[in-house]
Amino acid sequence: MIGDKKAEFERTVRAYSADLYRYAYWLCRDRFVAEELVQEAFARAWKSWRELREIGSVKAWLITILRNERARMFARKQIPVADDDVSELEIPDLPSMAENLDVKRQLERLPLAYREPLMLQVLGGYSCGEIASMLNTSEGAIMTRLTRARQALRQDAAEPLKRGARR
Amino acid sequence: MNCLEFRREKLAEPRHSSAAARAHAQECPQCAVFSRSVDESEAELLRAMTVSVPEGLADRVLLRSGRANFPAWRGWALAASVVLGVGLASIFFGAPPSDAYARLAVTHVIDEPESFTTEYHSDAHSVAVALRSVGASVRTPLGKVRYVKLCPWENGTAAWHLVFETPQGLATLIVVADERVRSKSDTFVDGWSAGVRPVRRGFYAVVTSSPAMTGQVDEILRARINWDA
Repeated sequence: MIGDKKAEFERTVRAYSADLYRYAYWLCRDRFVAEELVQEAFARAWKSWRELREIGSVKAWLITILRNERARMFARKQIPVADDDVSELEIPDLPSMAENLDVKRQLERLPLAYREPLMLQVLGGYSCGEIASMLNTSEGAIMTRLTRARQALRQDAAEPLKRGARR
Repeated sequence: MNCLEFRREKLAEPRHSSAAARAHAQECPQCAVFSRSVDESEAELLRAMTVSVPEGLADRVLLRSGRANFPAWRGWALAASVVLGVGLASIFFGAPPSDAYARLAVTHVIDEPESFTTEYHSDAHSVAVALRSVGASVRTPLGKVRYVKLCPWENGTAAWHLVFETPQGLATLIVVADERVRSKSDTFVDGWSAGVRPVRRGFYAVVTSSPAMTGQVDEILRARINWDA
């Protein structure tokens, strides 16, 4: 029985560690911290593994653990969380960089309140309803954030074209 | 459903359209075009979000869990399998390409675009700590350093990632301790140039936008840093 649990845990680590790492990376935008978060999240998950009832929902459960770990880490290390108010989205102009970095840079500049549901949807494939329950908010609020996130990215992508046209 | 409602729904949940939205897109050519452009952006977004994952992450997670929870033999078995895997790979597929570290440095820079747009621990003490990891020290200040961060490197090790200003533009210096590199190597890949140089206690890599600039930056580094301190 315990052997089964260990095998199941190992399969889960192999199946989801990459997804969790990417999610962690876009949460904190730091590759070192992202790996630490994944390690901590799985260590905590293993401690509660026997309590896991539904293996089908394990990925969402791991994401919740990782989010909690991140909050714990920030509290422990007292790292200031730079997150903008969702109602005051401002996208500053930055000097242009290599083209292949553009989308990543645009994502970097999105406030976390927009970036997080967006990565849960794009990377995790979750619906607005599922994201709402993961982030403890309403489906309507998630739909608004996702709409604004994509509007901001599209506006940002169009900005160089507009600048070019004005020249 | 009107055009505004359609666009709101499409931007909120691009992969799942309601029956009303599908019907609207069939009747409205502008919204059909809008829908396609959102789908294209989604594919681009997914590519950008799919950052590379450090090699051996799952094994490290299992090893760490193994220390606390699995029998000791299992941890050793996992560690041995990683070592054996690397050994077998080198037997069957030959030694890694000579510019492997230079390519790795380029990938690292591409995966961390914020290094060019943010200031992070850009003080002289951080620079000194980073250089000390390979036994080097500053002879003459490098100029304006904008970014100094300890990052994950291959096989669970770490590398110092520095970005500093040069007359030619921003340059990246990656410093890796305790990893043996036999000779210098260079590469030019995806529009990025990288040069790897061995030093006594590891190696450093310079990443810039052109081979000429990499050469110039390397000269600056040779002149201003004592790599064999």
